[in-house]
Amino acid sequence: MADLEEQLAAMAGSIEWPPTPRLSLAVASKTRPARRAWAQPRWALAAVAVLAIVATLLAYTPTRTAIADWVNLHTNLRHTTALPTPSPLPSGTLGSNLGLGKQTTLEAAQSAVGWQVLVPAQLGPPDAVYLLMPPGGPSQGEVTLVYGPRPGITTASETGVGVLVTEARGSVNEQFFEKTAGPDTTVETVSVDGHDGWWISGKPHMFVFVDSNNEPRFETLRLATNTLVIDDGGTIVRIEGHMTKEQALQIAGTLA
Amino acid sequence: MEGRPADEAELLARAQRGDQGAFEEIVQRYQQVAFRVAYVITGSAPEAEDAAQEGMFKAYRALHTFRTGAEPRPWLLRIVANEARNRARSAGRRHQLQLRLADDFRPGDAAPSPEAAALAGDEHRRLLALVNELSDDDRLVITSRYLLQLSGEETAAALGIPEGTVKSRLSRALDRLRARVGDKTNG
Repeated sequence: MADLEEQLAAMAGSIEWPPTPRLSLAVASKTRPARRAWAQPRWALAAVAVLAIVATLLAYTPTRTAIADWVNLHTNLRHTTALPTPSPLPSGTLGSNLGLGKQTTLEAAQSAVGWQVLVPAQLGPPDAVYLLMPPGGPSQGEVTLVYGPRPGITTASETGVGVLVTEARGSVNEQFFEKTAGPDTTVETVSVDGHDGWWISGKPHMFVFVDSNNEPRFETLRLATNTLVIDDGGTIVRIEGHMTKEQALQIAGTLA
Repeated sequence: MEGRPADEAELLARAQRGDQGAFEEIVQRYQQVAFRVAYVITGSAPEAEDAAQEGMFKAYRALHTFRTGAEPRPWLLRIVANEARNRARSAGRRHQLQLRLADDFRPGDAAPSPEAAALAGDEHRRLLALVNELSDDDRLVITSRYLLQLSGEETAAALGIPEGTVKSRLSRALDRLRARVGDKTNG
């Protein structure tokens, strides 16, 4: 047999690929969500598809505006709020239904990522820790600390989570927040122990940052509520929870 | 050169300045490779279409994060490949990728006769069957590098790994494929 690499390269032009679909930004937001393994009645699938399209079009200003631009819709779009349907209250470990990665311990997560994982002393030990490594996670991994009920902080009834602290190496800038902020979201610059921070209040759904490989990461804000973002020397820390700015800043002040 | 089509970097720069038509042209130019990368990852044409479509849209929304002077193709492929991986993971079901040789396969100038061409075709089909049997990681790196003819940087983007890791991963995958070829030949 001829050299293996030569043979493989010789086949390049002769693979029977499925026909390439015509991609267009105008319909990009209407793509189906990832297909699930379980079968669903046709009407339910149709309803889910319609809801997904409506939610996508209504919930997120940049998307909606971009779609309108792309399809040249010369019409007034009504700004309303549509939150994503939360998963049912989990019966397993706290946060296990939030897609945060693999459950682990703080020590194991610390050793896997290599960079210093910051823990807010005020909240005590986390109730669960999750680790998301590449290729699913950012280039140097992402660690999420999950906290259940804590004094003075409302617990999200859908998830049972009080506070989520998510950390990854990378960078952010204010432009990202402006691009992704919806109509019910405000962004305010803050400072935490000399580090740049942003208080995103309202109902943010998405968070964009650039990981240490310079690749943009689009992450869903799991609790879709007030979020404090801090750039702690290249570690991007996100604190999500139903809390006031003062509460969030107080928690952030105890990160170590 | 007069009338020369704009290169991708130029198109992307224009898109960053707000020219949406320029980004649409990038989408048209890259749709085939983006779709095929997504197909190799998901093993399903409908999933690949969704991933490529959504990946392009995410890239459009992330235009402000693209570094001027960088190569647009790896940047786009990385976003599409990430989307494909996320979809494959959340779908909760694995599709086994089955690459096939086109029926009108021609081995090229090296085949002197129809008989020789048929023999070469059979040999390539057997090799492709062995590629299909590899682990997901091995199949992805070999397919990206040889069958999709991606560069090292683009292969890294498709695999979601640093470029420096591609060579070693490819070398190990080739060793394992070579071993399978040897087994077939000797068995």
